[in-house]
Amino acid sequence: MKTAKIVNNKKSKFFIIGVESKMDEKEMKENADFLIKELPGKKVPGKVRVRCRYNDLLKFAQVFGIDDSKYVGSEEDGIVACKAFANHFTIKALYKLLLGMKLEQNGETRSFVLDPGKLLHAGQKYNWEDCVDVRDGDKLTVTAEWGDVWVVEKNMILFAELLVSVKNQDKKLVCKPTVRAALRPGGY
Amino acid sequence: MVTISDIEIGQVIKAEFDQITRELLRKYADASGDTNPIHTRDDIAEKAGLKGVIAHGLFSFGFITKLFEEFLNGERDGKLLEVDVDMRGMVRCGDNLITEGVVKKIENNKIFLDVVQRTITPVDVRDSNGNVVKQFEAGERGYVTEKDHEKGLVFTKDVDDGTLTYRERVATEGTANFELNQ
Repeated sequence: MKTAKIVNNKKSKFFIIGVESKMDEKEMKENADFLIKELPGKKVPGKVRVRCRYNDLLKFAQVFGIDDSKYVGSEEDGIVACKAFANHFTIKALYKLLLGMKLEQNGETRSFVLDPGKLLHAGQKYNWEDCVDVRDGDKLTVTAEWGDVWVVEKNMILFAELLVSVKNQDKKLVCKPTVRAALRPGGY
Repeated sequence: MVTISDIEIGQVIKAEFDQITRELLRKYADASGDTNPIHTRDDIAEKAGLKGVIAHGLFSFGFITKLFEEFLNGERDGKLLEVDVDMRGMVRCGDNLITEGVVKKIENNKIFLDVVQRTITPVDVRDSNGNVVKQFEAGERGYVTEKDHEKGLVFTKDVDDGTLTYRERVATEGTANFELNQ
């Protein structure tokens, strides 16, 4: 029995309000089975472009108290993004890609995330092997595909890995993030 | 300059950050674009059942990459290749954050480490009669729970004004590796 209140929302037609989201175990299991079968290896539709301005790089490094001129020097000399800047382009892109993603389940369109309030950030990997630095002025393109998807039956939390690729304007890799997202019951 | 001869198994690379503030979380939200209000507005965090704002998961992560960037002299002595961590516990305002890498394996010029971030959450300071002489945010907002006591995460230590009660727990855990210049 579906007790969740479904409201029309411009961004997501089937967005379910968090506090009222109640889903029975059978429906939850069906949804988990669907996502486990459907997602792995599938590309997340779309791409996100992120422009890296001097001030973006500077502000990010300053939050962490970084004072090395390589990361916080003058605009004229040019600076390199500190490694933590990967958070900036990864999260920005994932919000857009994930929350906008639609799937066909039993002939009906649904969002991957039914309730963003139940979305947890469970883990994160950044790999920079064979990657070049991010510099001010770079224009990055972020794409993603699904890795493993699994559910922990004890608490019915669904885990999904997103394998992200970030390239600069010269099509050179700048980072290969893997995001482990968790969705609590009712969120998928 | 860091060279391979400076590294040995069991070596600890460590940094402490004292302490997480709302202003810092607002700055991070602005810089990162992650403007979810549970990180910046107590009223919204409370409605979500969180007792107060929590740090962004990746905010703490930034202190891991900073640790290795600094160790590698702004990556002039080598390159950070990978950081892979799971978020285990919430980080909150008032927490002190300890970031630590322990060298587990050395392969040629590649160094593999275990990484852990722990939070020290001060609760209150009591005098010898048990009266609270100083209360911290965690004490006011009830961040430290009975479960924390049951799990053995709550400790005391003598400080100038009396006895400090605090919680220590793992916030982030995983691995990292970097490569030193040849």
